[in-house]
Amino acid sequence: MNSISKSQLAALLLIADMFELFCFSGNMSLQTLYGVLAGIALQLLAALVLAAKGTELKKCAAVFYLAYTVFFGGTLFSALWRTSGAVYIPSESGSGVSGRLLTAGLIALVCLYSSSTGIKPVARAAVIAAAAGILCLGIDFISAVLNAEWGNITVPEKRGLFYEIARGAALSGSLGSLVVLSGAVKGERSKAFVWYFAAKAIVSAVLILTVLAVSGGIMSVTPFPVITAAQLSQPFDAQRIDALFLVIFAVFAVFSAALQVMTGAYLIKQIFPRFVRWRSSMVIVFIIGAALMISGRELLPVRACAAAAALIFAPLGAKKSAA
Amino acid sequence: MEKGGLLPSLDDSIKEIRRISGGSSDLLINRFVTGGIHCALLCCEGMVSTSVITELIFEPITDIPQQKDSHGLFHYINEQLLLSTDRPQVKDYDTLFKLVNSGFAVLIAEGVDFGLAFGVQGYNSRGVQEPSGEGNIMGAHEGFTETIRTNMSQIRRRLKSPELVMELFTKGEKSRTDLCFCYMKDRVPKSLMEKVRRSLDDVELEAILTTGYLRPFVENGSFEIFDSTGTTERPDVLCSKLIEGRVALLVDGVPYAIVIPRLFCESFQTLDDYAYKPYYAVFIRWLKYAAFLAAVLLPSFYVAIVMYHPELLNSTLFMLLVEAEKKAPLSILTETLFVLLMYEIIREAGVRLPKPVGGAVSIISGLIIGDAAVNSGLVSTPLLTMTALSVLGGLVVPEFNPQVTVLRFIFVIVGGILGLFGISLLACAVLVNICATEDYGFPYTAPLSPFKRKGMGDTAVRMGMKKMQSRGFTVEEYHE
Repeated sequence: MNSISKSQLAALLLIADMFELFCFSGNMSLQTLYGVLAGIALQLLAALVLAAKGTELKKCAAVFYLAYTVFFGGTLFSALWRTSGAVYIPSESGSGVSGRLLTAGLIALVCLYSSSTGIKPVARAAVIAAAAGILCLGIDFISAVLNAEWGNITVPEKRGLFYEIARGAALSGSLGSLVVLSGAVKGERSKAFVWYFAAKAIVSAVLILTVLAVSGGIMSVTPFPVITAAQLSQPFDAQRIDALFLVIFAVFAVFSAALQVMTGAYLIKQIFPRFVRWRSSMVIVFIIGAALMISGRELLPVRACAAAAALIFAPLGAKKSAA
Repeated sequence: MEKGGLLPSLDDSIKEIRRISGGSSDLLINRFVTGGIHCALLCCEGMVSTSVITELIFEPITDIPQQKDSHGLFHYINEQLLLSTDRPQVKDYDTLFKLVNSGFAVLIAEGVDFGLAFGVQGYNSRGVQEPSGEGNIMGAHEGFTETIRTNMSQIRRRLKSPELVMELFTKGEKSRTDLCFCYMKDRVPKSLMEKVRRSLDDVELEAILTTGYLRPFVENGSFEIFDSTGTTERPDVLCSKLIEGRVALLVDGVPYAIVIPRLFCESFQTLDDYAYKPYYAVFIRWLKYAAFLAAVLLPSFYVAIVMYHPELLNSTLFMLLVEAEKKAPLSILTETLFVLLMYEIIREAGVRLPKPVGGAVSIISGLIIGDAAVNSGLVSTPLLTMTALSVLGGLVVPEFNPQVTVLRFIFVIVGGILGLFGISLLACAVLVNICATEDYGFPYTAPLSPFKRKGMGDTAVRMGMKKMQSRGFTVEEYHE
């Protein structure tokens, strides 16, 4: 695999994490933030153990992470279908199942092209996309501050902390890619992991706090709090800037899907070295199949369990390095 | 072409030359006797200077004293006469024709199987003029010409260092085009030089008539929207590239040099940036970035927002657009495509037509068609404004014109079908394609991604000359 830099890996994974947060459904509270941060801390611990081990995965671990990638790729497309009405994708809102398949097909097509160019170009593009995304989100959420009610942050949550930790852990779609792509990172892996998880924690915290401040008051009637917050955050009286969010949403969706596809294709290569062609296409087909099976369900417990299993497998599934 | 050595018999040799040339009318064979030896001077009509050949070749040669044989004659010419500075020896017909057709006069004599060539080139060529495509206010007003040696001299005049190497060689089975490989030997990455040389070894073209014939050989074979090699018609720009460790390729007959490698951000840099104060240069540079984005995306955003996302407009603007589009008989997508196509047709007509007619085309298109289209309601004024802005934006970075033109059309179509969602998807694909553009290990998107902080000093901003002086930048820093 071609080598990528720490910042490129961080950008790729952050985009996937941000997209999961965009599609986050249900109520949000301060405890959600604690849950997400706890989930990040757990992942960081497992990643640091992984960093001390070898970069190559055992075959059983590769199979597990392939299944993990396909499953989380499926949840990604499923989340995209769920949220597409809220962010307004023309073909999607037009005609039910065919519209959904068209949306998925278009994203798959771009993913297929992206993955065909290799990890390096996608990683380079991800840095630009992440920078542009953070800039646009910054504009969106700085304007959100004008409409924010900071009292909303402390609105009590009915569910317990354990549930929120499970929800936080479920936002781990990029974990498989982290384990697989970490072997391609130039330089010290542990530094790359700390860098990435710190960035993830900061961005998640800023995002969740802003969302709480903006849409905390209407949280009970908000299906997708982050999207609602973006829609409520208008810097000008007579001008809406939802377009910025829609653009970022679509761009992040593509890169998130491309990340899963490339990870899956790499794992297929590792499991079946003789299987040379159509690897990316096959992963995309599996992912869309998984999305159809998930059919819009959130499957929080399954995702949380899968993330926990991935955390355990990460250090156990790595082959010992020659050093 | 005949590879055989020259025949020692003058008559046989001239017969052979006539046979190879097929009796071509522009091959001049002047037979004469000097020093008691039968000789012939060969040259190509129109390629040599008549005055130079008379003064520097004929006059001294006819004064040669009696020689005992042809070897003595050639020895005398070589040792006693300085007929020209460029005097290669000709041993076969292949070289003979190459030199004669390049403006050399070749002397052959009875009894010797080699000839002497004298550089007396004197063909008509365009003089050094201001470059037509790379306008500059504060920099030099000299551009490359069609003559490779003039171009080489223009570079040498600006870089007098012995580290500048210019290697001449020929390519093209039929055209025998002179090419010049230029580099600064203390700056260029050795691997880059070797790889470019290897790429050029693959060139087996019959003719090289423009830089476009060679560029595919020195570019990555995969599909790239943007070129990973650049061209310039300015010697000063080329010199700055050579100092940065790039290699350049001059092609005889073409007033452009190929620069390898080329980066995306370079297309937004001009020599004028370094003539103005940094703050103004930074302003102009960001203006160009914005203009490029507007050139590609403005019409598509207009179409997408008006067709699918009108809620993004404020009420005043929305009402204005509704009012304007209400009269238009075509859908917004068709209308936009129509306007863009109309512009491209007018532009192409303006470029290809003779200049006096070109002016008439501008009047007809701008005043008559444009005005009539708006007045008749065929095209709405806001759309025409957006298109005009987009087209103007594209002209700010002329190097990207082919890419901008095609991308603009594709983005408009996608925006018209899928709205902002489609534009975002296409933007992702284009972004990945740009990031995948890489030649000889130099990423096209450097120093933005992969991020190189040092390079951002002349990309995002334009740092002062004093700071640049201490930077010692070479393109090798971007190598991955």
